[in-house]
Amino acid sequence: MAEPRTAPEQSAREEGLEFLEPRVHGEGFPMAQVFGYGGSLLLTFGSFFLVTRHLMPPVILLAVILTLAIGQAALQLGVFMHIRESRGPAWQLMPLGLAFFIALGMIGMSIWIMMFKAGVS
Amino acid sequence: MALPGWMLYLIHTLFPADTRRPTELGADVLIIATGAILFYILIIKGRWRHVWTEWITTVDHKKIAVLYLIGAIAMLFRAGVDALMLRTQLALPHQHLLSALEYDQLFTTHGTIMIFFMAMPFIFALFNAVIPLQIGSRDVAFPRLNAMSFWLFAFGALLLNMSFVVGGSPSAGWTAYPPLSENVFLPGVGQNYYLMSLLIAGIGTTMTGINFVVTILRMRAPGMTLMKLPLFAWSALMTSALIIFAFPPLTVALSMTLIDRLFQSSFFTLGHGGMPMMYVNLFWLFGHPEVYIVVLPAFGIFSEVVATFSSKRLFGYEVMVASLVSIMFLAYGTWVHHFFTMGAGPAVNAFFGLSTMLIAIPTGVKIFNWIFTMWGGRIRMTVAMLYQMAFIPTFVIGGATGIILATVPVDYQFHNTYFLVAHFHNVLIGGTLFGLLSGMYYWWPKMFGMKLDEHQGKWAFWLFFLGFWVTFFPQYLLGLEGMQRRMNTYPFGLGWHLLNVISTIGAFGMGAAFIVLVYNVVWSLRYGERDLTGDAWDGRTLEWAISSPAPEYNFARIPVITDRDPWWAMKESGATLANSLSPADIHAIEMPKNTPVPFLLGASFFLFGFGMVFSWWYVAVLGLLCVIATLIYSGFNYEEHALLTADVIRGTEASLGRLQA
Repeated sequence: MAEPRTAPEQSAREEGLEFLEPRVHGEGFPMAQVFGYGGSLLLTFGSFFLVTRHLMPPVILLAVILTLAIGQAALQLGVFMHIRESRGPAWQLMPLGLAFFIALGMIGMSIWIMMFKAGVS
Repeated sequence: MALPGWMLYLIHTLFPADTRRPTELGADVLIIATGAILFYILIIKGRWRHVWTEWITTVDHKKIAVLYLIGAIAMLFRAGVDALMLRTQLALPHQHLLSALEYDQLFTTHGTIMIFFMAMPFIFALFNAVIPLQIGSRDVAFPRLNAMSFWLFAFGALLLNMSFVVGGSPSAGWTAYPPLSENVFLPGVGQNYYLMSLLIAGIGTTMTGINFVVTILRMRAPGMTLMKLPLFAWSALMTSALIIFAFPPLTVALSMTLIDRLFQSSFFTLGHGGMPMMYVNLFWLFGHPEVYIVVLPAFGIFSEVVATFSSKRLFGYEVMVASLVSIMFLAYGTWVHHFFTMGAGPAVNAFFGLSTMLIAIPTGVKIFNWIFTMWGGRIRMTVAMLYQMAFIPTFVIGGATGIILATVPVDYQFHNTYFLVAHFHNVLIGGTLFGLLSGMYYWWPKMFGMKLDEHQGKWAFWLFFLGFWVTFFPQYLLGLEGMQRRMNTYPFGLGWHLLNVISTIGAFGMGAAFIVLVYNVVWSLRYGERDLTGDAWDGRTLEWAISSPAPEYNFARIPVITDRDPWWAMKESGATLANSLSPADIHAIEMPKNTPVPFLLGASFFLFGFGMVFSWWYVAVLGLLCVIATLIYSGFNYEEHALLTADVIRGTEASLGRLQA
């Protein structure tokens, strides 16, 4: 994988395009990613288990699975969304911020819209 | 002779009664004929090797663009034929050419295919063909992911189209509202096809969105700041942002319906505490941004076309960018106007009515800027420009009827009438399709190296434009007279007769336009005027600086950008890419290698989807295992780049006459 790439690297440097060059270096076993994947599955199946087994009253159940959901979101952001990585300007943070803004808007307005509680049934 | 039980089961499941009607049998014959022709070309004449190495395994954005374009035109044909059958049925009162079920299936596939499998791939065709060239890049950020997106779209489209002849079509409308789309009301496999095909294609679409956001943010040529980005690239950036945030709610809504149907949960059922209106909320959380996903690229295309053919710098660039960005944000805050009649309350409806009307402001700004760009310019009436000229009045009228529909009390009268049908066709055809066709005529020389014949193109344009108005203007009046959307026939004596006849005549006019368009493409591929300069229209942006079609590596040397219209500025100063390139400037380029992974991934997802549709779990699990195996193979395949040596590039550039001696 780490074979020499002199020619294109040289040309890229000359043109001021270093940022396009892939950074190739040895990586160890991706422990964090495996942990993040396993943890996400665990949290998903955990909330599924809680809901199907009716272990607690609905209000508490909702609170618990919401907590699990927030935990899972945080886990995925931390492990998979490159939130802590940057070389040069952290371009990935701008779309992430936008995502938060829009997701909060969607959720908040959905709750507002669906508060009328007059399902078709 | 008695058939064995499993065979009877297969025949009964795969070919139920609604796939054995005359239309379906006709389609069967066509499919078998096409299959035979393909078999002859690929196997007997031995072209399969070329198709496999040059097209199926390609990761080149320019070839993927061509594949998307072929898919989009094929789907335009399929969904257009659906529309002609619908209009034939409605031409006269009390007609029963089509049964109610068949009519439902046709309007469902018409809408679904036009939105997801015609408009979306057409947009991605132009993104792929143009964006990397416009921003001075050698490819998109993730070429293999790009090919995966295409194959997921292709196999998703195959799955949906297959429903027509195998198992039965979906019939709950393109919105597929529950409880109608639940098992109780539609027990067959049709809705499963709808759900699985959109889920699979949706993965591809989301990946395309991510790909283009990264490409545009990170792969621009040096010197091209965001405020020097061409407007088509800006519109692609905003479209991609909309895709990334709008598709998850759709995925959630479709998955929950799928779980309802296949595993008997009750998210959206009538009983057991299900909440069908929540589906409607989730669907339009996606569905409204989707409207802007398909129209913003058209805005971008028109901004390029109008500047080129007026030989003028685009008027009010900064304001154009600001309105694109504000449309992107506003698009997220208007979705309730699709279901005002749910009755969420006066405060909710008033808020969303107002937010909808707000969108008219940035859109109006854009319309004025296009007009001011033409003002005082030297206008060339090419086909691309004709679509632009037709777009402005058409879209303004479509937007104005949209404002009428956004007025809540009025919407209660118009909801789900032909007024609505006319309105959204007015903006989708007048906005999106005119835009895409304009873009196709404009960038065709860059994609294929020859111009589409202008004379034939003008015939197609006029047939299309007039056919469009003859079809949809009467539908506004029909809506005012109370004709409901999705009715499969109507009685005598309601005064709808004449208007429907006119509307059907217009629809066939658009059908004729499609035939002329295809003739135009086929004729031009053989006899069309070759584009030898690479700058067919005296263009302004960077894609016209290189040869047509662009070489595999796009730019032998990445240019440094100093102006918003870089190619125009280069031409003004006399320093083109061609005459400034000396052999010493050229270095080896590392290009991504072709790979079968994207195609295999698509095929695996197809197998998975097919298993899910028929609830054949062994098939579904096998498909899923194939998906995982393909991804693992892809992940451990480190031989993904090949070096294009400087000598090869020098040879190519010299053969194009673009190298200093």
